[in-house]
Formats: sequence, C-alpha cells, structure tokens
Amino acid sequence: MLKLRRVAFWVLLIFILTLGLMGCGKSTTQPTASEGKEKLKVAFIYIGPVGDAGWTYAHEQGRKYLEQHVPDIETKIVEKVPEVDGEKVATQLVQEGYKVIFATSFGYMDGIINVAKKYPNIIFLHCSGYKTAPNVGTYFGRMYQARYLSGIVAGKMTKTNKIGYVAAFPIPEVVRGINAFTLGVRAVNPKATVNVVWTNTWLNPALEKDAAKSLLEQGCDIITQHQDSPGPMQAAEEKGAYGIGYNSDMSKYAPKAFLTAPVWNWGPYYVKVINEIKEGKWKSSQYWGPMSDGIVGLAPFSKAVPEDVRKLVEEKKQLILSGKWDVFTGPIKDQKGEIRVKDGERMTDQAMLSFDWFVEGVQGTIPAKK
Amino acid sequence: MSNSRFVNRFRLRVEKQIHTSPWISLLIPFTSIVLALLVGAVFLSLTGNNPWKVYGVMFKGAFGSVFGLSECVVNAIPLLMTGLAVALAFRMLLWNIGAEGQFYMGAFAASWVALSFPHAPMYLVMPGMLLAGFAGGAVWGLLPAVLRAFLGVNETLTTLMLNYVAILWVDSLVYGPWRDPQGYNFPLTAQFSSAATLPTLGNTRIHAGVFLALAAAVVIYIILKHTVWGYEIRVIGESQKAAKYAGINVVKNILLVMLLSGGLSGLAGYCEVAEITHRLQESISAGYGYTAIIVAWLGKLNPWAIMVVSFLFGGFLVGGYTMQSAGLPAATVSILQGAILFFVLAGEVLTRYRICVVERRNDR
Amino acid sequence: MSEVLVDMRSITKRFPGITANYKVNFQVYRGEIHALLGENGAGKSTLMSILSGFYRPDNGEIRIRGKKVNLRSPREALKHGIGMVHQHFRLVEPFSVAENIILGTTGRLQFYLNRREFADRIARFAQSYGITIDPWAKVWQLSVGEKQRIEILKLLYRGADVLILDEPTAVLTPQNVRELFQTLRQMADNGRSIILITHKLQEVMEAADRITVLRKGRNVGTVFKKDVDERELTRMMVERDVLFCTTNPSHDIGPAVLRLEGISVVGDGGIPALKNLSLEVHAGEILGIAGIAGNGQRELAEAVTGLRPVAGGRVIVGGQDLTNQPASRFIEAGVSSVPEDRLGTGLVSNLDLYDNVILKDYRKPPIRRGPFLNHRVAREKASRLVSEFNIQVSDLSYPVRMLSGGNLQRLLLAREISLQPKLIVASYPVRGLDVGATEAVYRLLIELSNAGTAILLVSEDLDELLTLSDRIAVLFRGELMGVVPAREAEIEKLGLMMVGALTVEGRRA
Repeated sequence: MLKLRRVAFWVLLIFILTLGLMGCGKSTTQPTASEGKEKLKVAFIYIGPVGDAGWTYAHEQGRKYLEQHVPDIETKIVEKVPEVDGEKVATQLVQEGYKVIFATSFGYMDGIINVAKKYPNIIFLHCSGYKTAPNVGTYFGRMYQARYLSGIVAGKMTKTNKIGYVAAFPIPEVVRGINAFTLGVRAVNPKATVNVVWTNTWLNPALEKDAAKSLLEQGCDIITQHQDSPGPMQAAEEKGAYGIGYNSDMSKYAPKAFLTAPVWNWGPYYVKVINEIKEGKWKSSQYWGPMSDGIVGLAPFSKAVPEDVRKLVEEKKQLILSGKWDVFTGPIKDQKGEIRVKDGERMTDQAMLSFDWFVEGVQGTIPAKK
Repeated sequence: MSNSRFVNRFRLRVEKQIHTSPWISLLIPFTSIVLALLVGAVFLSLTGNNPWKVYGVMFKGAFGSVFGLSECVVNAIPLLMTGLAVALAFRMLLWNIGAEGQFYMGAFAASWVALSFPHAPMYLVMPGMLLAGFAGGAVWGLLPAVLRAFLGVNETLTTLMLNYVAILWVDSLVYGPWRDPQGYNFPLTAQFSSAATLPTLGNTRIHAGVFLALAAAVVIYIILKHTVWGYEIRVIGESQKAAKYAGINVVKNILLVMLLSGGLSGLAGYCEVAEITHRLQESISAGYGYTAIIVAWLGKLNPWAIMVVSFLFGGFLVGGYTMQSAGLPAATVSILQGAILFFVLAGEVLTRYRICVVERRNDR
Repeated sequence: MSEVLVDMRSITKRFPGITANYKVNFQVYRGEIHALLGENGAGKSTLMSILSGFYRPDNGEIRIRGKKVNLRSPREALKHGIGMVHQHFRLVEPFSVAENIILGTTGRLQFYLNRREFADRIARFAQSYGITIDPWAKVWQLSVGEKQRIEILKLLYRGADVLILDEPTAVLTPQNVRELFQTLRQMADNGRSIILITHKLQEVMEAADRITVLRKGRNVGTVFKKDVDERELTRMMVERDVLFCTTNPSHDIGPAVLRLEGISVVGDGGIPALKNLSLEVHAGEILGIAGIAGNGQRELAEAVTGLRPVAGGRVIVGGQDLTNQPASRFIEAGVSSVPEDRLGTGLVSNLDLYDNVILKDYRKPPIRRGPFLNHRVAREKASRLVSEFNIQVSDLSYPVRMLSGGNLQRLLLAREISLQPKLIVASYPVRGLDVGATEAVYRLLIELSNAGTAILLVSEDLDELLTLSDRIAVLFRGELMGVVPAREAEIEKLGLMMVGALTVEGRRA
C-alpha cells in the first residue's frame, strides 16, 4: 500500500497555476491626473449599492454631476455601508485625508455627530437628518412637492379610483410623501383613495414587487412607491397597470407602465455647497431645498400621460415654484375627517418633519400608532 | 501503463486525522490564507486591479494605524462575546445559532433599564443595565433550551426562528412606544443619560466592553478547563451516552449552558447600546450573531483562539471598507472576503481530515 | 447438485481492533434459500456487505457463476446480479412505488417517462412473483411489510438473482413473516438464490434449505437443514473452544447486594424487553446471564445501573430502594459497570486518559475542590491506574481512542474497580479481545469477586459463563428461563433454555 500526504503537492500545484494566471492579468494603474493645485477631497458614504436604480443611484448621479462641474476636486465613494458602520467609515475617510464628507442616509446621524466632534476641521453634510454642529450641516429636499404633482397625474388617470402606494418604513419622510401624493390625487379626484402597504425595506426588489402585486390584486390600477428598487414598477408592467416611480427615471424598467416619477436631482446642490466650501463661505445649516432650487422634480412624462394632465400639473408646478402656495396648506383633514390644518394656514416645517398621521383619502395605518 | 489504468490503481481516501501535529495545524490555516489571497489576486487582476496595491490598502487600513487597530477591537468586542457564547453551546453539541436574537434581547433589556431610569446615578444604572442585558439574552437562550430539554425540539430551528422574533420585537418598539418624542418620529429611542454610557478609551471608540469581553473569555476558559461543570459540558459534548452513564444530568446542563450562552450574547447587545449607539434602534447588530458562528468554528471552540480570530475578523471587516475607498466596488470586496473565508474554512477541514492516496488491492 | 452462483473463498476482513471475517468460505447454489446464522458480531453482515460491494475484503476472492469478480461498489455487485435489502429501507418516501423502482435503473438520463406504461409494467412484473402492489401508491403510505416487498422488487427489477436479506423479519409481524417466506420460496423456485441473514433459529428451520453458521468471524460449518435440529445449531453458534484454564475457586457468598423484584422494562422500540424478572446477586458471587443476544440482556444491564427506567417492580441495591433513581444515585450506591459499548459509553473516545479516569468520581473530593477540578489528583489517579493495571499507553494526554481494545477494557475496568464497587455489571467484557487481554480481564473479575464484590456478568459465551460464574441465569425473550448453579449446569440444557425450549423449575426469586 502506498500512502502519501498530498497536501503539500496540491498547494504547490495551485500556487504555480496561480502565478501563471497572474501573468496574464493586466495591471491597470491609472495615471494620477494633473498635479499642481491642491485638490479638495470629497467623499460620499452610501447606504446601498450605486446600481440600485433608486436612492443611492440618484446620489451617485449627483456626484458625477459635481465632478463634471467643479474643477480641482477628487471624489470617492464607499457603498453598502450599514448604518452602524457609518462612524467607522467616516473616521476612516477623514484619516485618508478627505475634507468634506457626505453621509447619505438618515441612520448615519449619531455617528457623524460623533466623528465631527473629533475632527472640527472637516465638514460633514448629512442627508435627511436633524442634528447639526458647527461643522455638520444637513440637507434634504422638499420631495413632497414633486409627490403632490405626481399625485395629480395618478388622480387623473386612475379608472378604478384605487391607487396603490408601496411604502418603505413608517417614518415621517415616508408618511409625508404619502400625504402629499394623496392631496394631489384628491385635488383632482375626490373619490379616489390611496392604499398603503408597508414593506419595511428600502431595497428588497422581490418583496417590494410582491407588495405591489398584492395592491394590484386588490383592484389598484396605479402603483407608486417609496423604495429604491424598480420592483413595484415591474409588477405594474406585468399587470398592464400604470406606475409612478421614485428617486430616478425608472422608465427603462417598465416602459409601458411608467408614467413619471418624483426624482431627486442632487447635482446642483452638491455643486453649490462645494463651491461655498471652496470659497470659505460655507456655514452649518439645515437645508431643506424646495423644488424651485431644482433639487426635486418630476421625471419626463411618458407618452401615456395626456396633454390635459400635463397642463394641469404644469399649472400647479408654477404655483408651487412661485412660493405663493405650498402642498400642506389648509384645510387638511385627517383620516377621521377632523380638520388638522385650518383653512389658509400653512404647516410649519417642524410639523411636516414629524408627520405621524395620514390625511383623508389614505387607506392604511401607521403600524406603530394605536 | 495507460492513464486510466493508473487512475484505477489508486484512489483517494479521506480519513479523520488521528492526532493533528502542531505544525500542521499552524501550516494549514497559513497556507489557506495565502491561497485565498492568491486566488483573490487572480480575480483582482482579471477585473483590472492591482492586487498587491489592494492588499496593501486592506492590510494598512485594518492594522496600519491606531484608528484601524482600534476599530478592529471595536468590531472584535461583540464578535468575541457572541463567539464565546456560541462556542460554549457548540461544545455541548447544542447548535445555538440564535446569538443574533439573544444579542437583540440583551440590547432591548438593557435599554429598558436605561430608558426607565433616566435620572438614576451611574452606580445603579450601569449594573442594572448589565444584569438586564444578561438576563434578556439568557431568557432568549433558555426558551429553546426548555423546548429541547423537555420536548426534544431541535434547537437549531428554534434559535434561528427566535432571531426574527427578537429583531422584529425591537423594531416594533423603536417604531412605536419607545420612539423618542424629540426625534421627529424617527425610529430611534431617546439617547441614554450619560450615567448609562461609559467613556471610551482616548480618542478611539474602544469602550469598557472590551474588559467585559476579555473577562468573559477568561471565565469561559476556566469553566471549561478547570471546573466540574466544564468537565460535564465536555463529556456531554463528546458523548451523551457516556454522560448518562456517568450520571450527568444532561437536561440540567442544557438549560444552564443555554442560559449562559444566551446571557453572553445579551451582554454583547448591552455593550452595543450602552457604548456604541447610546440608544436602541433598528439593525443594531451588523450580523454579529451569525459571524460569531464562523468565529467560534475557526477558533475551534477554544476561548483563546476565538479571541485571536475575532480580532482578525474585526480587521477583515474594517479592511473591507478601506478596499472600497481604494476604488473597489462593494461587490468585489464581498467576493474577495467570501473567497478568503472559503479557503480558511476548507483548510480547517484539512486539519481535521487527511487525504491519502491508496493503492487498490486485489486488482489485476 | 445445481449450479454454484456465488463462491466466496477465504475471505478475510479486518477493522481496527477486530477481525470481522477470517478465511471464510461461502457458497450459494442457484435456487436455494441459504441462511447465514450467527450471533451479533459474528461477522454475518460484514461478509454480506463484502458480497454486495459495500466493503472490500482484505484477502480472498469472490467468484460469481465461476468467474472471478472485483466488486467495487453496490452498483457493480448489482451488475453481477447481487442485491441486498438492508434493515433500514432505502426508499424515497414521497415517491410512488413505480418511481422508486425505476429510480436509478436507467443508465442515461431519460427526460420523458411514460408513467402509465411503466406502472403497468411494474404491476405485471410484481404479479409474476406473486406480489400484488399498487404502482401508484406513495411509499410513505405503505406498511413496513409492503415497503420490504418494494425493496425486493426493486432488486429483482434490476436483474438481481442473488438476493441478500439482512434480518428481514426483525420488523415484521408473524403473518408478514409467513408471507415473506412464501414469496422467497416462490422466487427460489424460479431459480433465484436467497441469502437470509438472521440469528433466529425458528426462522432458519422454517425457511432455509441450507445453513451456514458463523462464529467469531469464522465459518463453523455449512449444513443442510434436514440434517440438523435447533439444538445442534445452537451448539454451533455459541460453543467455543476452551481457551483458558482459569477457574473460579470456591469462596464465601455473602448477603444479597442486588435484588430485582419482579421488574419489567420497556425496550427502545416500545416493546417489553424484560417481563417480571426477579434475581439476586450476592456479595462475592458471579452471576452469569446467558442468552442469545437481543433477549433482554442489554435492558437488564441498563436497568440495574439506572440508565433505563423500570415500568414495574423494584431495584434494590445494598438494601436501598433505587427504583427509577437517577444513574448518579446508583454510582453513589456502589454500582460500577462495564458497558457493552466500551468506547462511546464506558469511555469518552476524544477525551484524554486523565479525563476518562475521573468520569465516575469527578463529583467527589479529592478530585473535586469546590466548583473546581483538581487536575493534580486526577493525574495521580491516572498514572496510578496505568501502572497498577499495566495499561500500555504512550502518552496520557492522547485521546483514549488511540488505545487498543485490550487496553481500553483494562482502563475501563481499572476505573470501575477503583471506585471500590459493591456490584459490577459487566456486559460482554471480553468481546473482541485477544487471548492475553481476555485472561487479564477474567483474572480481574475473579479477584474482585474473591474480595467480596457482587458481579453480574452478561455474556453470550457459555464456556466463559461456565468457567467464571457461580450461578447462571438464562434469559429468553425477556423472561427468566431459570437459574442453575454453574457446577451442575450442562451445556445442552442451557442451550435449550436459551431457545426457550426448557424452563428450569424452582427458579430462585
């Protein structure tokens, strides 16, 4: 009998093969671009992958816009960072020499505040949070304005008078979106209702698609959503219904169903804030950009949206852009029919930022509330 | 001799190693890591990266700076505690894969103390949270233990299922009754009072939990190696039949071990809320309870080895982010991490088994 | 005589520590039912596993229809027409009967199956062997007997003409057994050969044409059924050459240490394993338990050591009623035991010698010191036992599975004796041991009994029992057939008692 220990042999064999293969691999080190002026190093921390077609994708478009429009900067991204790891990654980026850090998810808030305390010379910009410091500013957009406009489209185009809303998490941002959308729907179609299903996900295409399907089963003929995946749009496409997306133009995922989408357009804001920083004019603030700043808007309408609807939307849009009127202007009733905002009164930012009730016309509950 | 004839003459046989020699048990993990890095290097160069640069960045990110090292420790704390918890149960062949849920319940119970007594002085609230954290995890570990001990319900399934229950329970609290009234209705509890949090070490995020984790490792080592109870655990783990024959009360030990195992994971949860987040929120664990299984396994259920492995694993996670900022997409980093794990685990099998080439007999 | 289908010549197979088959010759004719008889551990299953391609022999050759073959796998064995029905069926429960039969028969992947046609073919095929089956029935719906028939059909369908059945009646009711034997007979008449692995004598006498008896891995003889009776077969199965001259000198018998008062015990399958059994073992006495394996010996040993609850009756040790007390109480009361399963129950294979020597007394000082173990005391104990009992070991910190069988048994006995027991329950204490080790174990047992320890010795070796015991109790199907003083015992009579053919009156309570 012949008994051999072959481990060493295999190790050697694989080693040699590997080396051989490595020789074939191309080493592609990019030459570092123009030396000379000191570049401003800017980093972005993303919650999702850049290819999510949603939230993170929109930010990534903004970053690319920034790179094209501002000279002498160097940008870097770290994607798929869980919220608990925000502090770690932010610190790491600071240590790598980044001077401006954009943290693009609410959950990074406490971590960013902690890191900011340790590095007062670094500027942090946190998207969608509410805590600031001398070197931490927040930024967000009044997405509800675009949501309202998309609601008008839905209200005009529904035949069953039932619209499905695939909602992410029961947090104020999402509730606000649902309310604005519903107000838009009811402004043109008081009989229509908006049916809400919670998925408790930001990015889970299969689950979000299923949630949309369940709404379609219940007789909804238009689907809108608050998640980062195109799943709900695909469900609408398969059922031959209409869909209103979110975050970015999702028309390529659902060419027939897609009507429009309230979209983020971070680029101009990023350009503006970086220029301020470069000029030394930046100050910490809570920026909640309106549609007139171009930070939010509607994706181009698809062919399915008729001319009269386009016109109607345009009228309302001009009204909002003018600043004479805003979405949450009374009278606004809640689900029980009680007046929550009096006639002619505007909701304060504070109230809008902590929405925890639904307006009349929403079918659904906010889970945590009794 | 034709080739097929040659192949037929020999066959491979996998045998259990009788006695692993020390140098083999050192050589194999080392070779596995080298192999993993080599395969990773091929992958990297095929995707157009310079492998040596990427590895350099990864290593430097994790171990090349005070910050990197301190972050390894920060990551290692929950991994060490949950790893020990899991290892203790595995020693007795109790497949507790519920460390994640026990972690959450510990975090929940500790948060309850902190939020209920916001004005209590530190010398009351700290021990209170510690005990509550332990108890929360312990109860969550005890539940499947009772089912296993008295009804024979498979603990693998129950512990796994209870993870989801615990996570959803914490979610329902932070989205509901425990929401911070000042928090714009975001799913966060109020921040704990400063009495309920401990200072960190210098400018790093290393917190007092590190002492708790190290103490846990020492205690577990002493229990397993030097106590009567640890002896019983070892015997049961090796052979239940022998344990019964020796008059060991197996039921009692299942309950006790799961209590301690759950409690340790609960303590890890306590550390996370008290020292890192300072509040309860959703997804407080970055999958520590699951990574713990790998840590315990690679550490061969030995407390000292688990200590080393959890530190290395911490570095592994930290290094992942540095690789991203060196320009690798997150997906590539995940693939690379997966490859390294795969090789290390495969190498593990080689230390336990050996492959021999045996000549077939009675042929020709 | 008809054609020789199977011819196994001089087959030897060794496993670590044991020789399962030694130079076994075995022949099967076409059209016969051939019983392979022997006690548990006699090497029947090993021999048949070799024939069906599961194991490969260390030595010897197999000829099938006169042609030398090399069986590397069960699949290859089946190609030569040999198939085995295992005790545990290998059927896919959610599949139908027809699907189970076709499973794995097609050499190439067949994408399209005409299910109806195939089912009809299966039904007709079964009918030709006198078996009625519903090819569409799902296997999980079938009774055990039906499943067994599916297993047999499966092999027949694949062209097996030598069928090996491993203890086929163990799972069957008496009616099913009769049906099975009818089916087997019909197949034999059709020119197939059946090998029946069993240790049940009645079945052999009922079904077999020829009988091969294995003992300790050797072929004791092959006989025609018409030439033998049960008594003769028993003798062949259990009789051993007298190897040893150790005798048990007369000594004083003390008071009863163990008293069993009408105990009943339920076995693993929920079947009564001991029925209303009463026994006494006295200080200084060796009570032998004789019987063919599987007649309640294991359950008796477990009941007496507290490892198995008793359903009725009382277990009294040294005057203390320990009925259904935990095993630790039995240990405290001075009951030691050498279990049948040495490595796994009696010793913990992966733990080292230090840990193994304290398995029974780690709870007591001086090995226990508060909540801690005193490793120093444990080490001293280990080294003391190793030298006192002459255990050959290279390193005390190696896992004990590295030890040889004889050393394992010496270690086990050493530990049990070190507890200074009042009662030792020894189950098959020399099984698998070589001559020297066997003698050492015998000597230890005799010394112990001379020192006043009561010993309950379970064995299947009548010679061993006759040599060592003071009295011999015979178990048959969980009942006590009688207790006889060893000096007066006749091997013939014991044999009859072991097969339930004789009861000795005036059995002692």
